[in-house]
Amino acid sequence: MSIANATTTAPAAATAAATPIFPSFEQVYQGLAGQIGMLRQMAPKPTKTDEKRLQGAIDTLIEETNADEAVWLESCIHCGQCTNACHYFQATGEAKYAPMRKMDLYRRVYQLEISPMRWWHRLIMKPVKLQDFADASELIYDSCSECGRCTMVCPMGIDTASLVHHMRSAMVAAELVPPELAALRMEQKQMGTVFGSSPEALKKLVETIREQAGVEIPLDKDQAEVMVLSSAVDLVANGNGLLATAKIMNHLGIDWTLRSDGFESANFGLLSGDMSLWKQQADPIIAAAQKVGAKTLVIAECGHAYPALRWNPMVSGGELPFEMMYMSEFLGKQAKAGKLHLTPFEGKVTFHDPCKTGRRGGAFDEPRAVLAEMDADLVEMPANKEYNWCCGGGAGIFLLEDATRLRDESFKIKMREVNESGAESVVVSCASCRLNFESGRQKNHWDKKVHSLVELVADHLIDDPASLPSSNRQAAGEAQGARP
Amino acid sequence: MPNEPTLGGLLRSQGVSRRAFLKFCSTTASLMALPAGIAPAMAEALSSARRPSVIWLSFQECTGCTEALTRSSAPSIESLMFNFISLDYHHTLQAASGDAAEHAREQAQHDNAGKYLVLVDGSIPLDEHCSTVAGISNLAMLKEACAHAAAVINIGTCSAYGGIPMAKPNPTRAVAVGDIIKDKPIVNVPGCPPMPLAITGVIAQYLTLGRLPELDHLGRPVAFFGENIHDRCYRRPFYDRGEFAETFDDEGARKGWCLYKLGCKAPIAYNACAHIKWNNGVSFPIQSGHGCIGCSEPRFWDMGGIYDSVAKGNFGDGAKLGAAAMAGAAVGAGAAVLARRKKTRVAEEMHGSE
Amino acid sequence: MSLLEFARGPAIHAALIIMAAGIALRLIGVLVLTRGADLSRPRDAFGNFKGYRTVFSRAWPSGEFTTTTRYQTVVAYLFHIATLLVVLGIVPHIEFITSLTGLSWPALPNFLGVALGTLALASLLALIGRRLAKPAVYNSTLGDYVTWVIVALPLLTGLMAFAHVGPRYETMLALHILSSALLFAYMPFSKLMHAFWFIFSRAQSGLAYAHKGVRI
Ligand code: SF4
Ligand code: SF4
Ligand code: SF4
Ligand code: SF4
Repeated sequence: MSIANATTTAPAAATAAATPIFPSFEQVYQGLAGQIGMLRQMAPKPTKTDEKRLQGAIDTLIEETNADEAVWLESCIHCGQCTNACHYFQATGEAKYAPMRKMDLYRRVYQLEISPMRWWHRLIMKPVKLQDFADASELIYDSCSECGRCTMVCPMGIDTASLVHHMRSAMVAAELVPPELAALRMEQKQMGTVFGSSPEALKKLVETIREQAGVEIPLDKDQAEVMVLSSAVDLVANGNGLLATAKIMNHLGIDWTLRSDGFESANFGLLSGDMSLWKQQADPIIAAAQKVGAKTLVIAECGHAYPALRWNPMVSGGELPFEMMYMSEFLGKQAKAGKLHLTPFEGKVTFHDPCKTGRRGGAFDEPRAVLAEMDADLVEMPANKEYNWCCGGGAGIFLLEDATRLRDESFKIKMREVNESGAESVVVSCASCRLNFESGRQKNHWDKKVHSLVELVADHLIDDPASLPSSNRQAAGEAQGARP
Repeated sequence: MPNEPTLGGLLRSQGVSRRAFLKFCSTTASLMALPAGIAPAMAEALSSARRPSVIWLSFQECTGCTEALTRSSAPSIESLMFNFISLDYHHTLQAASGDAAEHAREQAQHDNAGKYLVLVDGSIPLDEHCSTVAGISNLAMLKEACAHAAAVINIGTCSAYGGIPMAKPNPTRAVAVGDIIKDKPIVNVPGCPPMPLAITGVIAQYLTLGRLPELDHLGRPVAFFGENIHDRCYRRPFYDRGEFAETFDDEGARKGWCLYKLGCKAPIAYNACAHIKWNNGVSFPIQSGHGCIGCSEPRFWDMGGIYDSVAKGNFGDGAKLGAAAMAGAAVGAGAAVLARRKKTRVAEEMHGSE
Repeated sequence: MSLLEFARGPAIHAALIIMAAGIALRLIGVLVLTRGADLSRPRDAFGNFKGYRTVFSRAWPSGEFTTTTRYQTVVAYLFHIATLLVVLGIVPHIEFITSLTGLSWPALPNFLGVALGTLALASLLALIGRRLAKPAVYNSTLGDYVTWVIVALPLLTGLMAFAHVGPRYETMLALHILSSALLFAYMPFSKLMHAFWFIFSRAQSGLAYAHKGVRI
């Protein structure tokens, strides 16, 4: 909450038009890093008895195991291929980070509880203990970003990422969620906020943007064609994200809104593995979009929000009157439709597909269409699109202190990939990737620039309202915002 | 018995030349893996050998073994030699009958105690009433005859391993000689029938060297049963190339291809058929177009059909597997249904408590 | 009862029954479990169907992974193909299958059988060699090694029996049948079940990703 205040009040000191309203992303990263460091002390302590925690974990797995999971657990042949795909293994070479190890405990529970051979397994296997779950934490959280890359090479096609996700659910029941995620999960569960990203903070930010940048954000409209989400990162640190979004929406003349009763993309239910929180977070957003009669719901550049909403298996997408799109998808569709005109982008650039929107989301072409619209010299990394290497910070790992080494080491793979592509800058479309890139960039004194797609687009809008005299700026913004 | 003829005398009287006899001796010597130089000495010893006392017992048998030995068109040295030795007691061949015959046997046993050989063809029914000779059960006669024997030689698969009488369902509870006689040296000369040369070879060695031949793990003389017929088969190149006769009158059969698929059991049969052959070296079954039935092996009657290849298990058909799969599927489905119930219960408990 | 009679009779009998029952049990026991539902709207209405491609396309690693997986893929393919050809191609095996099912087909020449058997065994050695050399990659369990031995034994004994080398043929044949029986009986309870799972496992992932418009 303190950050939210800090960032929204900071620009007051710099009102000159040339001075940025919000801090640079470099500063955003540093501010957030400090904030994350404090999460560990805020983590809730286990409340249940050990037996209950263990039973809860096992029951969760029983409940979440369907034939698909069972088949995957049965299929592994220990062929070791998946180690070629996993950045955490490749970065460390340590046996324990081999993807197939990440399903071992799940398999044990499966064998003891669900498998058709369970009576036999109970005779020959030791029962699972709470300590086993505690020991697995490193594999379930720190060393698996649920990126799905290992599925691309596994000859059995095992979806390790989703198995790990079920394990995260079990870890929630076992109250073994890493402190950072546990703290944020608690916050979101109890207060509905992330880092204090409350509706009030949203209103404040909208206000700041209107006052200082002269960009109007149609907050809480009753009816709108497009409902846009924001995210905690925007609210508490990177106001530029929302500012850029608003600029683009207004520029395109879209009938859009941002709803204070459903704006948060971040979903710590999904990240920690808490299915009920996942749903609790997704439902109000869906409801708000229905209320305003939106045709399109645009999810902010927050990678895991895409699966949290668009691919939420609990949300019956077929019955919804609106389409859900990731920001990059929305921009790409606009570009493809010829509605988005952008000034050229100089220099070689490469695009990093966030795992959650790329391999595990399918939005590959759209961000590239946006870059094409900028006449950007897009060069691909050796492994790209479905095969893109995870940056190492996904699925909440960016927040985990214990995962620092894994994150930093695996980021070197990403750097190598970018370097090999010959690009001078990288475009990402996920706040979490971007933070991780920023962290890696600073730690390694890397000479590449890292851009957010939405901010890049905002900077390259032709007929940028910023070129108009400042008195007209606001009017232009309003006019565009109000256009039906 | 001072006037007993020698084998040499007998052979001469039958018009067998010394040259032919020497040839027999060297063949036998080489087959029995004796040193080559032993042939003249063997001929010498055999010519002057006194008729050994031999008691031939025939139990549950078909007389095929005796026939194989004696019914060759021109009397062979083997058959003559057999005549020479088998005079004391042989149901089929001896002239005497009834009490006289039995008396002869008892006399021989008594006179030559510890020295005579017992040759047996046929298996012994443990249901003793099933086969008797002169009112004496086979079992009793065998025990009595063997009591003072120097050694026992089983002629044919029946006495060696039980043979046809022992084949399932073995109605007479037939057993082999070796199942009853435990305290005498036993040589098995199996075959259905056995090769004549194998019989005489064993006897010749005993007569000349005074000892029994080296035996394999099934009690057979290694000299005659040490070689796999399939390894010696002239059709083997076809086997190796994978050229098989599929029926008895197809192209492959006419071309003399391998009979494996027609049930040839030679790959698991050990005998001298393929190199010594039958009827004075004229032919042997495989050469005549029929696969080996493995007659020199224990329980060959029960090892699958004569025309079923070695590879076929005695499985019957695959229906059992279908049944097993159904049973497995039923158990699997049951396990899955229980797992589903458990899942529902767990889900209710978890969400009920929330 | 000789070893061969035991092998050809009760041993192979029991093994095949265990195998048939075990495979059915494990397949049905898993496939009849509940089906999860993904209610989210697929990227393209009939796109999910494309997911079944993965069952076939995963037969060979994608370009991205050809270099890193080359050894394992090539050697594993050699092993699988050679083994399959030997299992289905040589006369004794066809005779055995015919006796069970009544089906038969032309056989390979014997020298090819020996060559393929040797190849299969050699590739199996190559696989275990790498497994031992790279423990971190394979994370081998006891089951992995046991499975290897149980798969290698029928190949070794079969090769020896087929080529008529080593102990007497009936002994070799008995050992071959016994080791095969062991393999049959072990199969349903081991990772060898991947012979069936691969279809389902690949299809599931293929569908899940196709749902999102991703081709894997
Ligand atoms: S999903 Fe990604 S991070 Fe997890 S094991 Fe697979 S490759 Fe590694
Ligand atoms: S690639 Fe697949 S089958 Fe092979 S070890 Fe990894 S998860 Fe198991
Ligand atoms: S005919 Fe019989 S003995 Fe001759 S090669 Fe064929 S299988 Fe072997
Ligand atoms: S070929 Fe075989 S079956 Fe025929 S006599 Fe010789 S051993 Fe007996």
